Amino acid sequence: MTALVLALTVTVVVLAVLVAGLLRSHATILRRLHELGAGVEPGTATLLPSVDAAASDDGPRRPAGVPETAPTGRAASDLVGTSIGGDALALRVRNVEHDTVLAFLSSGCTTCSGFWEALDEGVDLPAGTRLVVVTRDLAEESPAILADLAPDGVTVVCSSAAWRDHAVPGSPYVVHVDGPSGRVRGEGTGGSWEQVARLLADATGDLAYVGGPRRARRAAADLRREEDTDRALLEAGFVPGDDRLWIPLDTDGSHT
Amino acid sequence: MRLSSHGLSAVLPSGWEGAFTTAREAPAVRTAAGVTTRAVPSLPTLHLANFALPPDRGDFGSGAVDVMGARHAFVSVLEYGPECVGTALFSEAGLPRHLTAGDFSPRALQRTRSGQAGLQVFFTEAGRAFCLYVVLGHRGNAATLAGEVSRTLANVTIGPAA
Repeated sequence: MTALVLALTVTVVVLAVLVAGLLRSHATILRRLHELGAGVEPGTATLLPSVDAAASDDGPRRPAGVPETAPTGRAASDLVGTSIGGDALALRVRNVEHDTVLAFLSSGCTTCSGFWEALDEGVDLPAGTRLVVVTRDLAEESPAILADLAPDGVTVVCSSAAWRDHAVPGSPYVVHVDGPSGRVRGEGTGGSWEQVARLLADATGDLAYVGGPRRARRAAADLRREEDTDRALLEAGFVPGDDRLWIPLDTDGSHT
Repeated sequence: MRLSSHGLSAVLPSGWEGAFTTAREAPAVRTAAGVTTRAVPSLPTLHLANFALPPDRGDFGSGAVDVMGARHAFVSVLEYGPECVGTALFSEAGLPRHLTAGDFSPRALQRTRSGQAGLQVFFTEAGRAFCLYVVLGHRGNAATLAGEVSRTLANVTIGPAA
């Protein structure tokens, strides 16, 4: 009897330890999900998971004291930095006709690699929008890797000041700046460019981010087919509402 | 917004941006007088524009002048090697900082594009030899754009080579 009680006690203790471990694990998962941005209310700046926390192997990317998200609608800053080759450059994003999409990326960030690849393959952007990749200063990056990663035809600016000015919480991070007002229209991060594109489409209301123009082209093709069909019908003597276009039905609904 | 490198600096007026490039290849230049000269690799080229500069540009703005609009202006300040200092081609003293519509002509363009007008001047300042090349998006706006370019050039300073 004593042995049975002892065995039961041990079993209960073991089970208690297991349950405690599970609860702790669950709490850790919830905390990480919260860090990743899950549960962020729609309308706030970052709707997507922040890969900064997930990419812990990349080292710290978020400066101390900088919030994980920054308020949308704040003023953007013009860019002053260097090219990957070290040449000085200064680009306008404020008080200009065109909008600018700033993609804050790094040469050492694991998640950024998918963004580099997506930009190299070409991404959908609203018409007239300029894409600029912003990395930290060359002293904080690997210029050789950056040179390999940099997509053809995309401006790359190395500027840690731009990261500070835009309160970038970590990489990758994307900011859409309205050129005429110089204010941020949308910003956020995600595990892929597609996720960020959806975020920016939500924030800016511009479906071009998610291939809107391509859908529009498909719709235009449909319209052209409709016009061709209408023209053929008219040439054959069929006008809108022509009785011959309707197949008479029997009273039970079947075709005659 | 201030941009400086290689002893050149520019305070950019509103709406203007700029970028330095360092020549990777030596582009040959044939002037109206038929003289061929060549920029020296590692010497700087400063590009200024009142529109978004595309990333891939030639020293004389190829790639940029193709996308500029009628109200846009493109400026290139190219340095040439020390052997050019004191030659007749670069005898004009100082960067021309006051330009008028009459200074521009389609014939001065490196590549003729419909409606555009250009200016090309070789000069020496601070003991360094340069070429100023300017393209206006449309010669119909030359008076306005020449004034805008002049205001931009007024804020360009050239010192001894860094």
